[in-house]
Amino acid sequence: MRQEAVGEERWVMGAELPSSAKTLSQEKIDRYARASGDFNPIHVDPAFAAQTPFGGTIAHGMLLLAYLSEMLTAAFGQAWLAGGRLKIRFRGAARSDETVTIGGHVQRVQEGHEGRRLWCDVECLNQQGEVLIAGQAEVKL
Amino acid sequence: MNKAIEALEKGHRFSATAFVLDEEAVVRYLEAVEDEALPRLAQAEGKAWVPPMAVAALALRSLMEEMTLPAGSIHGSQELEFVRALETGERIACRAWLSHRSQRGGYWVLAVGMEGADESGRSVLAGRLTVMVPR
Repeated sequence: MRQEAVGEERWVMGAELPSSAKTLSQEKIDRYARASGDFNPIHVDPAFAAQTPFGGTIAHGMLLLAYLSEMLTAAFGQAWLAGGRLKIRFRGAARSDETVTIGGHVQRVQEGHEGRRLWCDVECLNQQGEVLIAGQAEVKL
Repeated sequence: MNKAIEALEKGHRFSATAFVLDEEAVVRYLEAVEDEALPRLAQAEGKAWVPPMAVAALALRSLMEEMTLPAGSIHGSQELEFVRALETGERIACRAWLSHRSQRGGYWVLAVGMEGADESGRSVLAGRLTVMVPR
């Protein structure tokens, strides 16, 4: 993580969320399979995955979402844990040897009686710059 | 009973499940996803918070005890709402239903709605996922 949350005032329209890069490996994917109980062979069986259109194993979508959630925790703290919303689409798969970059920015700010509500565009890209995940996160500060 | 999800009809309600946010499982999850932000925040606040995505993953895992996703199934989209921060040791009851079922190309497109509640019955998590299942 390149940045830390330093206060609510920094979250203005266009503000960048603390981006990070994660390098995947089959070992990391296997570790996530054990932690989550998701042993779909597309993730953990290289021989099976080689026969699919992906040509090899891919990371769990929920592993990539965990990376996004880490960024949102770093940015918004408890506001993400309590009241956070996420709506995303998986647009591509992360192969087991790729480095993915997680990032986002504040897309909309609404001031109200109950505080500030932020909508952030979030994404996960692979090392070729292809979008693997795109969507929106919402928090109330 | 474990069933193939593509054989279920729209509106099908999965059996209610429950799980405890076990500290060991949460530690294993944090290591697997290399989350440094949550432990730092939890330590600063003196709380045993669980990463919200871990709750979602454990909820999905509990659902998988009833349904089988065929090899090659692909996660298409995900919506999640985290109502309150959860701590290790809490027990979460989950209910889920098949909210959409259609065909596209060589896939079934299935959507599952889910909701998690704490021991007092208050909602703590809601979500919807779509999955592409090979036909």
